[in-house]
Amino acid sequence: MSNMIQSNGGRDGGRDGGRDGARRSKFGRFGARRREVLPEEPLEYKNVAYLSKFVSANGRIQSRKRTGFSGQNQRKLAEAIKHARLIGLLPFVGRM
Amino acid sequence: MTLQRTRTYECMCLLDNREVRKGWQPLKDAVTGIFTKHGAKILSSRRWDERRLAYAIRGQQRGTYLLVYFAADTQSVTAIRRDLQFNESVLRDLLVECAEVPQTAYEPEAAFDVNAIPADDAPAAPEPVAAPQGEPVAETPTEA
Repeated sequence: MSNMIQSNGGRDGGRDGGRDGARRSKFGRFGARRREVLPEEPLEYKNVAYLSKFVSANGRIQSRKRTGFSGQNQRKLAEAIKHARLIGLLPFVGRM
Repeated sequence: MTLQRTRTYECMCLLDNREVRKGWQPLKDAVTGIFTKHGAKILSSRRWDERRLAYAIRGQQRGTYLLVYFAADTQSVTAIRRDLQFNESVLRDLLVECAEVPQTAYEPEAAFDVNAIPADDAPAAPEPVAAPQGEPVAETPTEA
């Protein structure tokens, strides 16, 4: 019996949750996972007006933290911006 | 034995406006000829836009974009890309694989007047004014 793990003071028999404590968060200690943002328009290199929303004043690609995109969409965004830069649609450095 | 496999590609070519002013159709035919020379089948070829570039390329501030959709053997893509880079009138090219050709690519090309292309050193078009014009803005009384 000494090996038995007791949580919540053992009142709910070792289960998480219940009256004595909040259920352990699935996403860590600091609250719910950030909701994923979906792109409003296709992430293509030709869609320059939309892509330029995700480029900083210095011409840098915004981070996932700022765009809110999923990993897959963030990679599509980065590739589209890099393609647009190659053919002179977006600047490598600086503003249009 | 080499593996023969045909795929659909999309190629955006940035063309030199100095060559475009000499005539659009002959230049377009010359560029699409690079693709057909290597056995590609042109699905669509149309002018995408004429615009100011984000940075100067070979001393040019403006350029005309030609968007070509074609089906080609995977083995011939390297040769097509090399020939595009050798061509003097193609400033930049971007060749990517494309899953399907969009329906807009089959629409007829809009009329293009090469003489109406702005000069390279022309000032940028003024930005549209955000405030609606016509209605005078009522002055709000300032609080003392």
